[in-house]
This record gives sequence, structure tokens and C-alpha cells, in this order.
Amino acid sequence: MTTLTMAKALNEGMRKAMEDDPKVLVMGEDVGKLGGVFRVTDGLQKDFGEQRVIDTPLAESGIIGTAIGLALRGYRPVCEIQFDGFVFPAADQIITQLAKMPMRSLGKLRLPVVVRIPCGGGIGAVEHHSESPEAYFTHTAGLRVVTCSNPADAYAMIQQAIRCDDPVVFFEPKRRYWDKAEVDTSGSADWLPLDRARVVRSGADATLLAYGPMVKTCLEVAAAAQEDGRSLEVVDLRSLNPLDLPAVVESVRRTGRCVVVHEAPVFSGYGAELAARVTEECFYHLEAPVLRVGGPSTPYPPSRLEDHYLPDLDRVLDAVDRAFAF
Amino acid sequence: MTETLTPAPAPATRPARLSRLADDDLALLLLIRHFERELLRLYGAGELNGTTHTCLGQEHVPVALRPLLGPGDFVFSNHRGHGHYLARFGDAHGLLAEIMGREGAVCAGVGGSQHLHRDRYLSTGVQGESLPVAAGVALHLRRTEPGALACVYIGDGTWGEGAVYEALNLAALWDLPLLVVVENNGIAQSTPTGAQLAGTVAGRAAAFGIGHHLVASADVNEIRPALEPLVARVRRGRPMVVEFRVHRLGPHSKGDDTRPPEAVRAAREHDWYARYAHDHPDHFQPLDARARALVEDVVAEVSARPPSRWSPCA
Repeated sequence: MTTLTMAKALNEGMRKAMEDDPKVLVMGEDVGKLGGVFRVTDGLQKDFGEQRVIDTPLAESGIIGTAIGLALRGYRPVCEIQFDGFVFPAADQIITQLAKMPMRSLGKLRLPVVVRIPCGGGIGAVEHHSESPEAYFTHTAGLRVVTCSNPADAYAMIQQAIRCDDPVVFFEPKRRYWDKAEVDTSGSADWLPLDRARVVRSGADATLLAYGPMVKTCLEVAAAAQEDGRSLEVVDLRSLNPLDLPAVVESVRRTGRCVVVHEAPVFSGYGAELAARVTEECFYHLEAPVLRVGGPSTPYPPSRLEDHYLPDLDRVLDAVDRAFAF
Repeated sequence: MTETLTPAPAPATRPARLSRLADDDLALLLLIRHFERELLRLYGAGELNGTTHTCLGQEHVPVALRPLLGPGDFVFSNHRGHGHYLARFGDAHGLLAEIMGREGAVCAGVGGSQHLHRDRYLSTGVQGESLPVAAGVALHLRRTEPGALACVYIGDGTWGEGAVYEALNLAALWDLPLLVVVENNGIAQSTPTGAQLAGTVAGRAAAFGIGHHLVASADVNEIRPALEPLVARVRRGRPMVVEFRVHRLGPHSKGDDTRPPEAVRAAREHDWYARYAHDHPDHFQPLDARARALVEDVVAEVSARPPSRWSPCA
């Protein structure tokens, strides 16, 4: 066991993947000499060389397109999109090529490309450095969409994503980059499969469904609710597509209440899919409607206002209260 | 670096006499011509649905390139790609089956006219998307299969897409063996090139320090030797734009030709098919009849096949 920040855990995970497989490449804007703006790729170019850790021009479409071309030739490119708001110029390549090419070729073409995207707010940054664009990609058939919430998962999941033969959009909650935790770097025997959710706190009265940055918030909510005598279960979804629906259904059928929490706007957000699925699968077990907590339907606000935008302890507790009062 | 900066204006008079072609070149030109004509007929007769984009008038481009590209080279095609595919594989049965969704289709009928994948051949209908992908493949080729190249076919309209410039930048920066073949037919669907492309293709290539070569001829015997040394240079890591001045004879897709009749007539003046029939009737007629019959047989045989079957979970 070793204590790592999430950023360092991702770094160590990529390092291990590059050691294990010479076909793994890292590419993106300023990922080499600088080590990425969040230093997630720190030291990789120094140790693996410019052929394997490639500083690219500012060209997100070019980066992902080039990665697709490399993947066609057997590489496993790991692309860093510097900030969430910069992924949109690459959307054409991701949605129209990366997601669809394997299907068009009936699986003859596999594209093991990982698109790493630092996501979410909470670091006092600007609008296009603070967004949560996951729903655009979960809506796109043909992509795996995953997100880690803690250093141990970050270390394992980035390696699993790189090993995966499908394209993976990998969201990294940037405000959790500096959270530290014990990480077992000794092997992969205890890793949960990439597409499985994890119950990170057991409870009996309500289920909080969260992923990425909101898992930690929901754990704080559950601790606070405990003081009021409420036992909340927190499920870290980890994989948004595919969704580990059995794990979600098992939890909600047991607790009878469900609150979904994400940073992205509630309207047409990923929580809408969760609410619909939970309602379909758990209708006769529900004591209250599935409630959602997330951002308002506005562009991400200036940093001085982001505390009003982001779901916090009070807003989630308020939703829990409403679920119990129903 | 830049071979030609100023595109030549379209000739006002009837183009020069075509030279006599080798049998296999003429047969391939005619195969593509009759295949495309049959497609339009089949659509008109309700035998096909969806959409298609024919390369009528542009057949000589892939035919000229055919022996210059080897099996180790990659070809990235576009929405108007039947000629590119036929020049690469000569497989009219597989292509028609793909378009008709019949057994024996190249991609089991899932890809259709615009999304073909076979060996080192890949097409997509979205403009400009293939360039960065071809750049990635070219990067691999440069590293591990030196001498091989990635060839990507685009049109004049494609130059409006930003991805083109991201890829050209990478190709020049990284010395990629990338051959960009531009089929400039003077019209992007319904928009004349003059209304959608500022400056010139040559000027845009020059901005990246990338070589440019203009081909105004439709004579395969003229085009090929001129391209040979340029293609060889691409193989050594010098990306290149080769711009063919071509004339689209048919509609963009089907029944959507907005050009005035005189513009279509002017395009037909350049049609290698009528010109070759005029210049070399003895060579043309038997091969034309053979190609026509061959395509008719392909249509009859493929139409009788059962629908293609496939499983997304296979």
C-alpha cells in the first residue's frame, strides 16, 4: 500500500500500462515536457520518450483522429483532452468515428482508444474548465463512459480502460485530483471489473446514486444524515455506460428511496436516465419518486458563483428530506 | 516545394485528343462508369433505397493512381467512393451487395455506400473526418513500415472543414507519408467552389509547406508518370496534395443537380467516356460492350441473392 493523490494514482496507472504494453501511447496538448496542466502525465515523456508521449498541436479533432488511426494499427493511445470544455472540437471524431467504426465494420476494427477528460467544477476555474459533459457521451452508442471517484479506483480503472478493446471516455473529477488515499499497487487481483458499480457505504433507508466528484459529497451527506438517524446507502456508479443496473436496482429495492446526484445540469442529464430506469425496475418498491440533484440549466457560472451551482451537503440533504417526507 | 500555385483555368475549347490506354485501364474506367450508371438506374427503379453519390466523370482519378498504390498503402475514401473501391479491389459484386444489403457484401450491408472497410481501405461520408485518422495511420507507417503511405481522397468542399488543417499541420510537422488527393469538381453539392473556397487549394497547401500538384488532364497515360515521382516522395515522408481538376457529370446524389443545363453540358465536354469513344472507337467499343454486360451480370446475380445477415454480437 502506498499513499497517492488521485492525479498521482492516474500517473502511476498509466506508467504501469506503458511498462506492460509497448503499444500504449500518451498524446495530447502539453502532456510531455509539462506533464499536463494537472501533472497527470508528469515524468512519462522523460521516462518513455517523445515517441510514446507525444506533445500535439492544439487540435482536439486532430488528436482523436490521429489516435484512431494509430489504434487501427494496433496501438493503444491514451489521449488527454486538457479540459472538459475542449472536448467539443473532438466530438466529431469521437461520436462519428470512434464510437461507430467498430460497429460499421462488424467488430473487425477495434479501437482501444482512451479519451481522458478532467471534468467538473470546484477549483475556481472558468466555465470551459468546469463542465460535466458526460451525458453527451453516454448518449452515444459505442462508447464506454467511466469515471473514478478516488485514488484507488483511478489507479485500477485507468489501466482497465487502457486494456479494454473498446473506446473509453474516462472522466477524471479534477477537484479530487489532490485527494489522497491508500492505493494497492501490487496487482490487479482485487480490482472490480470496469463496468461494475460499487456500494461505498451501506445503508437501509435511501440510496444515493453518484459518480465522480459527487461520491465524496454523498459520503459526507450520509455521515451527516446518520446523526439524524437516517441510514443512507451510497452507490458509486463508476461506469456510466454500460450502467451496472443490477447493482442500482438491488440497492433501491432494498432502501425504497433514491436520490441521484451529479454536477451536470439536471435537465436532460444522466440522472434522467437513472430516474427512468429506477422507476421502471423498482416501481413497487419506491416510497417516493426518484429525486435528482444537479446543476441548473445555465452555462457554468463564474468561479465566485460556483458554490451556488454545485450540489453540496445542504442541497443533497434537502432532497433526502423530501424523499422521506413524501 | 509547391509545384503549382495557380490553378489553370478550365479550357474553353474541346480538350485534346486522349492517348490510347492499356486494356486494363480502359476496362476499369468502363467498369466504374457502368457500375455508377446502373446504381442511378436501380435507384430510379426503386430497387435501391437510402442514398448514393456517383463519381461519373471522375473515374480516371483512382484509375490513374491504381498501380502507384501498393497493398501496404492505406486508402481513405469518402462519400463519393465507389470508383476508389473498384480501382482498389475490382470487386463489383461485393460493392453492389453492400449497397443493396445482399449476401456477400463487403461489410455485411452495415456500412453501405459510404462506410466501407476492407483490409487497408476505409471510407466515411463525413467530410474531412478521414484526414486526422489517415495522419495517425501515416504516423504508424512512418515508424514501422517505412515506404508505405496513407492516401486520402477528399473534394473541394472538404476544404471548408477544420479537421483538414489539423491533419495537414500534423502531416507537415511530423513528416508523415500522407497523400491527399483532391477531386476538385468545382461544386460542393450545389455550391460552386468559387462561392465556398477562398484562395486556392494550392495556396492552402503552401501555407503548411506541403507540396501541391495540379492535374487538369483526364488522360491516365499523362497523369500517371507525372505522379510517380511525387508519390515516391510522399513515401519518404513528404506529405503532398495532388489536386485533380475534374468535372462532375451527374447530380451530387440523385436528382439534386441545381446547375443550369449549359454548365452540365460544359462538364460533359470533358467527359473521357465520350472523348475516348470518339478518339479510339475500335478500342472503345468492344471493351465498353464487355463492361456493360459485366455490370448487367453483376446486377442480376447480386439482386437475386438473399438479404445479408449479421449480428451485432457476432
